[in-house]
Formats: sequence, structure tokens, C-alpha cells
Amino acid sequence: MVTATDRDTAPVSFRPGEFEILPDGSGRLLGSRCRNCGAHFFPIREACSGCLGTDLETVRFSTTAKLYTFSVVRQSVPAFPVPYVLGYVDVPEGVRIMTQISGIDPEEVKIGMDLELAVEPFGTGDDGETLFGYRFRPVGTEEGK
Amino acid sequence: MTGVHIIGVGMTRFGKHPDDDAAGLGAKALLEAISDAGIDPRLIEGAYCGHVFQGMVTGQRILAQVGMAGLPLANVENACSSGATAIREASLAIRAGEHDVVLAVGTEHLTTRFAGALTPDPSDPEAAVGATMPSVYAMRARRYMEEFGMTRRQLAAVAVKNRRHAAANPLAHFRKEITIEEVIESRPIADPLNLLDCSPVTDGSAAAILVSDRMLKRLGNGRAVRLAASTLFTGSVETEPTSMTFEPLTRKTAEAAYEKAGIGPEDVDFAEVHDCFSIAEVLRVEGLGLFPQGGYPAAVERGEADIGGRLPINPSGGLIGKGHPLGGTGVAQVVELVRQLRGEAGERQIEGARVGLAHCRGGKAVGIEGAACTVQVLVK
Ligand SMILES: [Zn+2]
Repeated sequence: MVTATDRDTAPVSFRPGEFEILPDGSGRLLGSRCRNCGAHFFPIREACSGCLGTDLETVRFSTTAKLYTFSVVRQSVPAFPVPYVLGYVDVPEGVRIMTQISGIDPEEVKIGMDLELAVEPFGTGDDGETLFGYRFRPVGTEEGK
Repeated sequence: MTGVHIIGVGMTRFGKHPDDDAAGLGAKALLEAISDAGIDPRLIEGAYCGHVFQGMVTGQRILAQVGMAGLPLANVENACSSGATAIREASLAIRAGEHDVVLAVGTEHLTTRFAGALTPDPSDPEAAVGATMPSVYAMRARRYMEEFGMTRRQLAAVAVKNRRHAAANPLAHFRKEITIEEVIESRPIADPLNLLDCSPVTDGSAAAILVSDRMLKRLGNGRAVRLAASTLFTGSVETEPTSMTFEPLTRKTAEAAYEKAGIGPEDVDFAEVHDCFSIAEVLRVEGLGLFPQGGYPAAVERGEADIGGRLPINPSGGLIGKGHPLGGTGVAQVVELVRQLRGEAGERQIEGARVGLAHCRGGKAVGIEGAACTVQVLVK
């Protein structure tokens, strides 16, 4: 499998404004933090929906998460070969994010699992290049499993 | 402020209509509603058309077919709540004193737009990681099972009930009853939801004629049903993760409707709720306060939500049995309410029903609990 670190050129994010790939090949989800009330949002917002303030900064979220719930998707659009595990994960900033879950047999997935973010190939760009996106996988799972 | 009354309703058969289109279906539903109301169509002063995927000026294409162009008309889109939003806008135009007779029509020719699972708008960050509508509800079902111990059989019983009700509805997409085993053994879509837990891709249209107190008096229509409340909200923005097994948006929209109608959930005799998936019905009736949280799956198993039960839910067959032509859905729910309250529901008639409630909830936008939610309360 192609990974983000064994490439000659910098890996390209599938959603650059939402998902950043750092020089070491690791990835971060990008969101907003309200400087007034401290609420976090994903993706980036124009204003805080907690206090309606507009003083927001862009922040990188933690790469750990807990699985709130999940489904094994068995029918989808052609862009997503089935089956895949889709889940809602809660990151420590207090934000729930929808993501695919990888690195685990679908039968083994459990609500409440501890997960961490992984950078994985996620589709193909307009010029045919591999794009990289995020999935979450059980903590400690080898990349490429 | 004037009251609002529904004096005529119409709807096409829901199902696959390969030889028709959204405007043609809309025209048929509209003509039936006018005939049912027994009014001169020239009395109609304004119109609203709910649809989602039918392109520009669909409402005008309907009016053109029946020779009624020349009215003020607005097309409204609110995903699955589009038709219900058309009803609400029509009622607001009357309450505001702008018009005395307003038409609401909802239509969708969905089979020409979709074959399989509906997905959110492609620009949506959740669509970008593989969200489909069934998978989002499947995740809510999984969480509900974890928190409340709902069994797979209980979930399937919702679909079985709605298909049983649909079998008694000549206009429903599906007329064949199914068993719990058939639901559980049907094609997996997104675990734990299978094909028979999902509403089908359906074509269809429905229409209703709404009038003011003054016009009702003038027309003297003895079969009119009062629209006691019609409420609409968008979901609030979530500043922290909240439970996905309860719907604050549904609760808020319902409470506003109960207050306007001067009733409580205990006064509701039957309801049409947005069962786009079996789990959705569970979340909705609990959000509406019609059943206690966590209590609906067992109540369905006991037959409490059946026609003839304590509180019939989706006597028309609901979206799972009757079909779900997005723009048509919210108006068709009102058609069912009117027919039940008039005692014209035939084989599926609920005896003695006086208060009916319809609930729609449509669309998805990242960061808010739901896009659009509507509740209508009709009183005999
Ligand atoms: Zn704030």
C-alpha cells in the first residue's frame, strides 16, 4: 500500500481546508476554536455558534478519539468500495466527527473503543494522483494493516 | 387571527410512474384536491410547491398543465420536509391575511433521479468520507440498541407494522405484508439496517386546499378539518457532542405545535411520522413525546402502534410502506390525516380519531442536529 511517508513528493490532502498533512507525513484535522468561549468546531466556521462571537482561530485537533457509534456500510456510491466501517468519533476538543474506521475486522468494532487518526490513501485527484485522507483506527494498530 | 382549514385533498398512487413526471403527477393530485374541495379553481389565490430534485419552476409547470397560471406561487425546498413546508407557507399566507384560499402541492419523480441510497450534498464533509442516509440512521440505531437494549426483531417490527398498514392503503407503493424474518434476511444496506428497514425510491404527488375562517363560512364545507398548528424549525448548532438517540429538534418543533394547538401529546389520537428508516420512527415518536424514551420498540411489539392499538403510528403505511417521494411526502401525510379525521380512510380507518399529528424531518448539514423539521396538528 502507498503510504504518506514513502513518497518522493509531498502527499496531497483530499480536503486541504479540513485535513492537513504535516512534513513528517502525519495528519491533523483542522477546526475552529472560539477565543471568547473556547468552543471548538469542525469544519472551520465563520462565527461561533455558542456565543455568536467572530473571533475564531484555526486549530489542529488531537489525533485521538473515542468511538460513539458505527455501522458497516454495505451499499454506497461507486466512489466508496463496500464494505467499509463508518463511525462517529468524539475527539478531546469536544467535537464529534464522522470518519471511516480502518485497521480492524468490522466484526471486532465496539462502541467506546479508543482510536487514533491515520493518514491513508483516499481517492484520486483530477490529475490521477493519489490523494490522502484521514481514517481512525484502533490505538497501536500498525499502519498498512 | 384567522383559523386555517383544509377543505380538499388529493394524491396520486405512490410508486413507480415511468410514464409520468413530477409536474404531471402534481397536476393529477391538484385536480383531485380541487374536486374534493368542490370549489371553483378560480377562487385559489396563491400556491406553494414542495419538491427537491425536480428542477426549476416545477410548481409553475403544474399550474400550467391545469390552466391555473397567473397566481403568486413559490417553490420551496427543505429536503424531506419540502411538502410540509409548502403546507406551512400556505397556512402563513392565510394567517397573515394575504389570501383566503391557498394551494399546497408536493411532488417528486424520484425514480428518474436515484437508484440506490441517497447521499448528502457532495460538498458536505461527511459525504466526502462516505456518508449515506441509511448509514447515518444505522449508526443511530446501533447506539440506540446499545443504550436501550432494543433488539433487531423489535426494530424490524416497525417495518412489519408499516407494511401491514400499507397493505390496507390502495395508494401505497407496497401492498404486500412482510415478516420480521424477511426484514432480518433482506439485503444488508448499512448494519444493522437492511433493505426492508428503508423507505423505497418512490414517485408521487399530493395536494391540499387551505382556506381562512371567512372563506370556510362562505363555502360552507362540512368536511373541513382545522389545521390547528403548523410549525417549522431548523436544527440548532451543536457546540458539543449530544445524544443521537434523542431528537431535541423534533421535541422543540412538537412543543411549539402543541402550544399553538392548545393540546398535549396525550391528546393525539394517531400520527404520521417521518419513518424514512425503521429506527427513524422510534426516534421520532419518542421525540414527539408520544411514547417514553426507550419505550417505543417494546410498545410496537405489543401492538400499541397498530391501527386498533392505543396510539396508531403511520396508519397510511408511512414512508416505509406507502413510499417516500421527498417533496410529496409532507403533503401526503396531511392527506392521510384529513381522510382519517373525516372517517374516509376505508379499511385502515381509526375509530373516533379527533386529533392527528404529522411530523417530517429532512436533510443533513454538518454541525447541526437536523436541517428542517415540521409538525402539523389537525383537529376535527
Ligand atoms: Zn464562542
